[in-house]
Amino acid sequence: MHIMEGFLSLEWSIFWYLLSVPVVIYGIFRIKKITQEFPESKPLLAVSGAFMFVLSALKLPSVTGSCSHPTGNGLGGILFGPAVASVLATLVLIFQALLLAHGGISTLGANIFSMGIIGPLFAWLIYRGSQNAGLSLAISVFLAAFFGNLMTYVTTALQLSLAFPLPSFGAALSNFMLIFAVTQIPLAIAEGLLTVVIIEKIIQIRPDIFERLNIFKIKSVEDPIIEASK
Amino acid sequence: MNISIDYHAHNNELSEYNPQFKILLGILTLIICLISQKPFIPFLIAFIMSSIIIFKAHIPWRFYLKFIGAPLGFGALTLLFMAFFFGTQPLFATGIGGLTIYQDGLNLGLLVFSRMMGSFACLGFLTLTTPLNDIFSQLHKLKVPDIFIELALLMYRSIFIFIDESDRMYHSQQTRLGYNGLKNSYHSLGLLASNLFIKSWFKGEKVHLAMESRCYQGELRSMNKYSSLTLKHVLLLVFFEFSLILGLYLTSGLKLI
Repeated sequence: MHIMEGFLSLEWSIFWYLLSVPVVIYGIFRIKKITQEFPESKPLLAVSGAFMFVLSALKLPSVTGSCSHPTGNGLGGILFGPAVASVLATLVLIFQALLLAHGGISTLGANIFSMGIIGPLFAWLIYRGSQNAGLSLAISVFLAAFFGNLMTYVTTALQLSLAFPLPSFGAALSNFMLIFAVTQIPLAIAEGLLTVVIIEKIIQIRPDIFERLNIFKIKSVEDPIIEASK
Repeated sequence: MNISIDYHAHNNELSEYNPQFKILLGILTLIICLISQKPFIPFLIAFIMSSIIIFKAHIPWRFYLKFIGAPLGFGALTLLFMAFFFGTQPLFATGIGGLTIYQDGLNLGLLVFSRMMGSFACLGFLTLTTPLNDIFSQLHKLKVPDIFIELALLMYRSIFIFIDESDRMYHSQQTRLGYNGLKNSYHSLGLLASNLFIKSWFKGEKVHLAMESRCYQGELRSMNKYSSLTLKHVLLLVFFEFSLILGLYLTSGLKLI
C-alpha cells in the first residue's frame, strides 16, 4: 500500500528520502554501466518499467473476495536483481504519484524504501536462498514473491508506527500490523501465485528472453531460470 | 483503466504556464503543509489550491471532486481511527462497546486529515496543470542523471501503449470465457501479464532499432521552450509562501478542541 501524500510529517519524509536515495543512486550507476556495455538494454529496461506500472494497475482477485493490485516487486527483484529493480520501482512510484495520484511527492522516499528497496531485496534474497536449498522453481518464485510482498507491508507498518508512536511505538505497531495482516496475507498469497504463473508462462512461450535478461545479473551467479529455459 | 490526469495536465488553462513556477509553488506549499502543527493553514492551503485548480486552470469540478474524493475518504477514516484508538486523555465515552473518543487522538487525527487534504491539493495542482514532459525537463535542470530521465521518458511513452494493449487483451479474454471463477481468474490474469511482458519486451527491441536508425547516440534531447523565472514570479512566490508562514505563526497558539 502506498503511504498517501501528507501522511508523514516533514522530518519523517526527509528521513526516508535520505535512506532511499543512496540505494537508488547505486542502482542508477549499475544501470549506467549496463547500458554502456549493452545499449539495447535501455529501451528494454524502460518497457519493463512500463510493464510494472501497468501490472500494478491491474486488479488482482484475492482469496477473501477483496480486490487489490499486485505490486510487481517480487517479479522485478527476481528478474533484474535488487539494485536495478529499485530504480525501476522508483520510476513506477513517480508515475503512480503523478499520473494516478497514488502515493505522493513527500511520501515518495518512504514508498521507495518499502516497495522499491525492501520488497525486491527480500524477494531476491529468498529466491536465491530457496534455490540454493534445492526447492523447485515454482516454489522458490512463490516464496520470493510472497515474502517480498509481505515484507513491504511490514515495512509500511513500521514506517507508520514510527511516524505515529501513539500511545507507544509498540502499541501502534501491533495496531497497524493487525490491520494489515487481515488484508495483506491473502494478497501476498495472491501475488505469489500470480508471479509463478507469469514466470512459468514466459519460460514456456519465450525462453530466450531470460537468456537476454542475464545481462542484468552478476555474471558469476548461475540462474536457475536460465537453466530451465535452455 | 484510463489516465485522465494526464489528459487534463495537457488540456487546461495553465498547462502552458511557466513550469518552474508551478513546480516551486506546488512543492513549497506542500512543505508548509507538512511543517504545520495546527490544522488551520493546511485547510486554507487546500482551499486556495482547489480554487486555483477549478477557477484558474478550469479543470472540470466534477473530475476534481472525484480526484480529491480519495484523500477525503481515507482521511476521514484516519481521523476516526486516530480519535478512537490513538490517545490517552478521554474526551467522552460513547457508551457503545466501551469506545472512547480521545482528545489528543482527535487533535492528531484532525492535523493529519488537514495535512492530507492540503498536500493532496498541492499534488493535484502540480499533476493537473503540469504536463509530465515539463516536470522531467525541470528535473534535468536539477542535474538528475540523464539515464534516469531518459528511462522515465521512454517509460512514459510505453505506459499508454501497454494500457491500450492490456485493455484489448482483457476484453478478448472475457469474451472467451476468461475470468470465470477464482482459479480461472488467476490463470487468465497470469496469461495476460506474461503475454504483456513478452509483447513489451519486443516493443522495447523495436524501439531501440527505430532510435538507432534515427541517429540515436545514447542521448535524447528535447527543446526547452520556457524561459526561467521572472522577477514577478519570484516576488509572487515569496509573498505567498511568507504569508502562509506568517499564518502558521499566528495560528500556532490557537486551540481547536
